[in-house]
Amino acid sequence: MRNSSILSAAAVWVATLSLAGAAVAQTPALNPEDAQRARAQQQRQRTQPGNDAPVWRDVRYGEPKVSAVRGRETDVLIQSEGQTWRAARVPMATTGGFVFALALLGILGFYLWRGPIELTEPPTGRRIERFTRAQRIMHWTLAIAFTTLGVTGLIITFGKNVLLPVFGYSVFSVVAMAAKILHNFVGPVFVVLLPIMIVMFLKSNLFKSYDWPWIKRFGGMMDRTGRSEVPSGKANAGQKILFWLMLVAVGITAAITGLILDFPNFDQTRQTMQIANGIHMVAGIGGVILLAFHIYLGTVGMRGAYDAMRHGYVDESWAKQHHRIWYEDVMSGKASHGDRPVKVVEPGRGAA
Amino acid sequence: MARMKFICDAERCIECNSCVVACKQEHNIPWGVNRRRVVTLNDGVPGERSISAACMHCSDAPCMAVCPVDCFYKTADGVVLHDKDLCIGCGYCFYACPFGAPQFPQDGAFGLRGKMDKCTFCAGGPEPDGSEAEFQKYGRNRLAEGKLPACAEMCSTKALLGGDGDVLADIYRQRAMARGKGSEVWGWATAYGRPEGKPSAPRPQDKPGPKAPANGNGGKS
Repeated sequence: MRNSSILSAAAVWVATLSLAGAAVAQTPALNPEDAQRARAQQQRQRTQPGNDAPVWRDVRYGEPKVSAVRGRETDVLIQSEGQTWRAARVPMATTGGFVFALALLGILGFYLWRGPIELTEPPTGRRIERFTRAQRIMHWTLAIAFTTLGVTGLIITFGKNVLLPVFGYSVFSVVAMAAKILHNFVGPVFVVLLPIMIVMFLKSNLFKSYDWPWIKRFGGMMDRTGRSEVPSGKANAGQKILFWLMLVAVGITAAITGLILDFPNFDQTRQTMQIANGIHMVAGIGGVILLAFHIYLGTVGMRGAYDAMRHGYVDESWAKQHHRIWYEDVMSGKASHGDRPVKVVEPGRGAA
Repeated sequence: MARMKFICDAERCIECNSCVVACKQEHNIPWGVNRRRVVTLNDGVPGERSISAACMHCSDAPCMAVCPVDCFYKTADGVVLHDKDLCIGCGYCFYACPFGAPQFPQDGAFGLRGKMDKCTFCAGGPEPDGSEAEFQKYGRNRLAEGKLPACAEMCSTKALLGGDGDVLADIYRQRAMARGKGSEVWGWATAYGRPEGKPSAPRPQDKPGPKAPANGNGGKS
């Protein structure tokens, strides 16, 4: 008896809930502002039946109305944000393109003026392990992903102005299609790799007190003799800034906005994608500029830098010249790769 | 040369959606894509108005401005068309369009959207007029047959008109004068309020097609 009354009470409760739910679901969700506007329009219809101005003003708010056609935002008559996006995007892309071109010219100018940063002392032949195998594999995997994204992003953004006049419509369309597909599939790979890379290189990129003098004198990079380089740890302040800008700031920003753009299947609105697209473009242009600096200094810009990431070892003279504090830590046994000491290979021995 | 425009008279539109159906039927549009749609304002309250919206073939078209492969072109009639062979499905036109005209057959993960589809003002695409390839990609080319867009021709209350903008404006002006209200022309400021873009130069891949005979039968006589 008792059980059945509990059961019937529960049944009534469930029925009430579902009825209330259905009622709520069928009531148009009107916020007070909308309701106020609708009432004003009704009032206007009575006093000035010929005046449709409020209705047409309403169109410009871009709010969802009613449409029998199903689909994303089919019930929005005019979305003004699209024109805002276009008005912002075109000059932003143009400016970004010139900034990128200027950065490349700046690097070229720096190379012509300064030349590669050479070793000031002859190599001793003693080689110091700079990066572990895991770090190098990680670096190169991310490097390939980052470069692919950078190049394909540049093609999508600037190809219309730079490549299209050269290739013509048909060929450029194929190039752009390949760029878009690569960009959209390598993007998620980058998103997975990025946090691993950040964690792996985080420790050596935390700022220390000795980074400040380096920043103030730009590491002594402007001295063409190369004899006034400011001592630094495993990473110098410039590399640390690059880490925080390129991987943390640009990387994470581009990853989040990129995911929003790459998966339109989650029914995000056009406005969300417009904003994401604008931020993504700024981050992307920043990213390729930083990438260009990084590639320059990691290859032709500094003797021995490429070998460090390619083979994992640097010469003692190189370490002493470019990363004095780290070199001293290695020699005193303070520096380590995780749980093991840094390997030092004496002259005449094979690489580890 | 006429400057083709659409006009929708909100005082006349009864939200019957025949323009939507006419368009789908005429062009054999795939499931999920609607080149035209009817939107109702103040649904169910006094002052209700309905508007049939599609690509307005803007003077200074935002889609054209943002397309990364420049696949849009403007015909001598002012109709904004696009080349599906060039389209990479990036969605930029869809972000930029104020009228929500560009549609994609899918919204897949990894940005796989397929080729963009939109209203062609029943003017087909870059393929030869009335060809099978043109029909498959863009639907019927009624303009080449000397006809006006199917949606406007189907409209039961003649709310939706498509054709030479000057003629439409005259018709609309007469209507507004006669009824003494409803002179607002929906979407015209947005679509045609900026200086007219020049018609695109003919594309290298555009081949002069067989001109459709004037029997209005798409060359199928």
